[in-house]
Amino acid sequence: MTDRRRNAFILLLVAGLLIGSLTAIFTKKTREGLDLKGGVQLVYEAKPTRYAKVTPDAIQQTMDIMRERVDQLGVAEPEIQRSGDRQIIVSLPDVKNADAAQQQVGTTAQLYFYDWEKDVLGKDGKPHPQDPSVTGGQSAGQPGAGSMGYYEAVTTASKFKPTHEPDDTTNGLFYGVDEKTKSVVCGPQETKADTADVCKSAGAKPSSIVEVPRGYVIVQAESDGEDKAAQAAAADAYYILKDDPALRGDKDIRDPKQDYDSSPGGGNAPIVTFSFSKDGQKKWQQVTREIAQRGAAQTVPGEPSRNAANHFAIVLDNKLISVPYIDPVQNPDGIDGSQGSQISGGFTLKSAQRLANLIKTGALPLRLDLISNSQVSATLGQQALNQGLLAGIVGFSIVALFLLVFYRVLGVVAVGALVIYAIYFYALIKLIPVTLTLPGIAGLILTIGVAADANIVIFERVKEEIRAGRSVAAGIAMGYKKGLSAIIDANVVTFMVAFILFLLATAGVKGFALTLGIGTMTSLFTAVLATQAVLGTMQRTKIIAHPSALGARESKFRWTQDFMGASRWFFSMSGLILLIGALAIGGKGLNFGIDFESGTRVKAAFVQEPKVDQVANTLQTAGFDSPEVQRIDNDKELKGSGVQISLAESDPQKTAKIESVLAKKFGEPKAYQASSIGPTFGKTVANSAVVAIIASLLVISAYIALRFEWKFAVPVLIAVMHDILIVAGVYSLTGREVTTSTVAALLTILGYSLYDTIIVFDRIRENVPRMPRAAFSQIVNRSMSEVLTRSLATSFSTALPILALLLFGGDTLKDFAFALLIGVLSGAYSSVFIASPVLMHWKEREPLYRRRRRRIAEDNGGIVPAYATAGAAVTVDAPEPRRRAGNRLTAPDDPERQVSQSEFDAMVRDIAHETERAAVATRKEPEPDPTADAQPEDLVLKEKPKRDKPKGPRNKRHGRPR
Amino acid sequence: MAMFAWIMMGLAIWHFTIFLPDREWGGIVGSFLGALFGSAIFGLIVNGFTIPGQDETHVLQALEAIPGALIGIGIVYLEGVRRKIPPLEL
Repeated sequence: MTDRRRNAFILLLVAGLLIGSLTAIFTKKTREGLDLKGGVQLVYEAKPTRYAKVTPDAIQQTMDIMRERVDQLGVAEPEIQRSGDRQIIVSLPDVKNADAAQQQVGTTAQLYFYDWEKDVLGKDGKPHPQDPSVTGGQSAGQPGAGSMGYYEAVTTASKFKPTHEPDDTTNGLFYGVDEKTKSVVCGPQETKADTADVCKSAGAKPSSIVEVPRGYVIVQAESDGEDKAAQAAAADAYYILKDDPALRGDKDIRDPKQDYDSSPGGGNAPIVTFSFSKDGQKKWQQVTREIAQRGAAQTVPGEPSRNAANHFAIVLDNKLISVPYIDPVQNPDGIDGSQGSQISGGFTLKSAQRLANLIKTGALPLRLDLISNSQVSATLGQQALNQGLLAGIVGFSIVALFLLVFYRVLGVVAVGALVIYAIYFYALIKLIPVTLTLPGIAGLILTIGVAADANIVIFERVKEEIRAGRSVAAGIAMGYKKGLSAIIDANVVTFMVAFILFLLATAGVKGFALTLGIGTMTSLFTAVLATQAVLGTMQRTKIIAHPSALGARESKFRWTQDFMGASRWFFSMSGLILLIGALAIGGKGLNFGIDFESGTRVKAAFVQEPKVDQVANTLQTAGFDSPEVQRIDNDKELKGSGVQISLAESDPQKTAKIESVLAKKFGEPKAYQASSIGPTFGKTVANSAVVAIIASLLVISAYIALRFEWKFAVPVLIAVMHDILIVAGVYSLTGREVTTSTVAALLTILGYSLYDTIIVFDRIRENVPRMPRAAFSQIVNRSMSEVLTRSLATSFSTALPILALLLFGGDTLKDFAFALLIGVLSGAYSSVFIASPVLMHWKEREPLYRRRRRRIAEDNGGIVPAYATAGAAVTVDAPEPRRRAGNRLTAPDDPERQVSQSEFDAMVRDIAHETERAAVATRKEPEPDPTADAQPEDLVLKEKPKRDKPKGPRNKRHGRPR
Repeated sequence: MAMFAWIMMGLAIWHFTIFLPDREWGGIVGSFLGALFGSAIFGLIVNGFTIPGQDETHVLQALEAIPGALIGIGIVYLEGVRRKIPPLEL
């Protein structure tokens, strides 16, 4: 395919994709994350139960059940995602009541039926079916006779001997108790370690953790619906049951429905009706028969049978829902299960519906602990979106301005490519579809920088080629050809970081990683292929006929500094900064946010602004320990002033009530944002970040070792470490809060730091064979002087959108932008002043470069000049691949001439070089001398020497006659 | 957190090895590893093979890494001298 056809094809493709993208943008809906449109996000950690271990299948089954439950909530576009091995993230847009959402979605809903009199135990651990002080008599299951306090029930049961019946529902449960106040402060959990974690997150300090052994369960007494007095009485009334359920909700019950009790005396109260499975019918008949027969045996002649009737208990998640009796006279042979049954007792319409739904969707196979709960009001979400968009527009505009000023016509092409890139990107977000979150917007803004970087690298190369004497057309072709390897290497590394982040990081960071990955690949297409096709088509037009149109007139400024000589001073500066950082880390530490430390943070604004003390007192009265309340003014998220509340407690069940407590006292908040993070969540975030960093470094090292040389990989790692530690030091010194966004930024810095280093190393790699007699320090110095301008330009173009994020983004984006800005600046610095000198020091130790150095010093009176000079170290241009006839890259400038002047010059250089090579090849090889320099051929990296085709036996007919 | 401070201090000290005649075993990368391992191991020894957490970390712990880093660099340098690695004159 000719160049013209190829360019036409690419331009057609670009146009086609553009039309498709615009169609997608106008027809598809953007899926916004909770942080942009408001709602509730619940993060659960799955724990094993007696019947199920935490396996991928069990997690999937749990998620399916949760999805059904969420559907019943009527939430539009809910998202239920798995995160890591054990976590499930439930995002519920537009849901305002976090408490209700929690109850509906994450309740385990394990339903069991017990034969009450047979299973309820006294303090001696034995059943006493006829003793009302144990069973509660006619008030079975109610607070009062038979029930005991929570602490007493737990400590009493903890002394019982474990059993090992096959139908036990647990392997034993652990409770945190306070012996001084005689109260149960946290639990139950399946393991001691989990109990300790839960206690910590609830801010509870148990004096000991006790185990209620397998074979026993502690159940809370029945409370009567909305009756507050009854609820208060049931709050500390518990029973100990022998864990021997007669029926299980998930196996024996079918078709639960909310209904109304239309029986005489039922008063149309809400009830839950259900039928039994075949097996359930038999069990039901059998257990009710046993209960009826026991009741009949206890009936005193002359007294109503009701007085001696025995009961069965319905227990949902360790709470008695209902304890009805079986009348031995009416049902002497038990109750026929074929007609189903009903649960009644103090339901409101909503609670009856909820129970029916929970039984219908089935019990979750795993136990779920809520470890994080975030709530964002719709107003704050919209505002965050506006801030993100503003930052994006400003970032785009200043990058565009920079490109136009610096690259003129090329800049116009690049800006066009950026616009196309933004359209493609937005269309992809809608088509995949990707849930757009705040970190995702940050990723998008950053990729604008990436896309601009790719253009800068190529344009600088184009300018370099034109300044070296090539025609504009040849310069463009050669610039793209030579710049491509660096861009591909740099983009592959950024993509790898994004991919690893996506695989290993937590939810918020995942959104960022996905957009970064998509953006990197898309920008490679628009910035390299599309711009090349445009410039290729324009190359014969007058618009770019003159080098000045491309900003490629003779350069007035050249870097001539001895970078390697000065490196010791830059090393000292870095050492000093790190020293201060290390002292700050030791002395001040890092200010970890609640993402890591666990706790709750609430921001709220009210119509009538309450005083700080009033808010603190209200929360203390509601049972929250030592709330820290502070007034915040001009808060961007609250659109003005409000209060910020910090609590050490993170028990989501409890903290979900904060909004209602505040609303009751100060009126409905006009803006509300809450986030509760448990200790497990913070640990997961930190661990996943460490794993992601290590994995990224390993993969990137392998890639660099493969593409360059293994010795190039080590300085890269040192530079990355330098950048990450400098960012950490700055965070410690400034006392800024370290959040999950900071972690995402650190991981991005890792990719960005590499971007710059790869640009520099790519030129070193290119210059090594071009300078076959130069010292390595001279090669590096020359490479630096050639790429420093573009390295500064790429860093600047990346820093611009980050600066826009810092100035115009909301709080989350600002956190992110601050870390990124420090990292990008440090990355640009370290690639030039840390990675390259380390490489130079290491390579100069190689015997080859030691010999060169010695020889150059001898030739220059003991001094090795900073730059290779004629005589001391010959600099030659690298041989370019020989062009095949008919494969010309450019047409001559003057149609009268067969070649352009610059092409002619280039050919002269090529011929001179080839002649030199040929001369070297024909020269007799001297005896190996340890002090002699290597031949240029020895220094060509990654290129095996081309062998001449083996000469086969000549055709005798055409051979010389004998 | 203490480990973080030790590593950071080790890296800071390593930067100044650029003033040494490059005779270290493994060169500048050898001294890098010496500084990092030296500071971490010395920090562990001083703290009884425990790593103090965020609340227990203080300035002294960062300073504890200095002798460790110097010892690490010293060992690598002496090994270089023993192996008769000639200095690099840059």
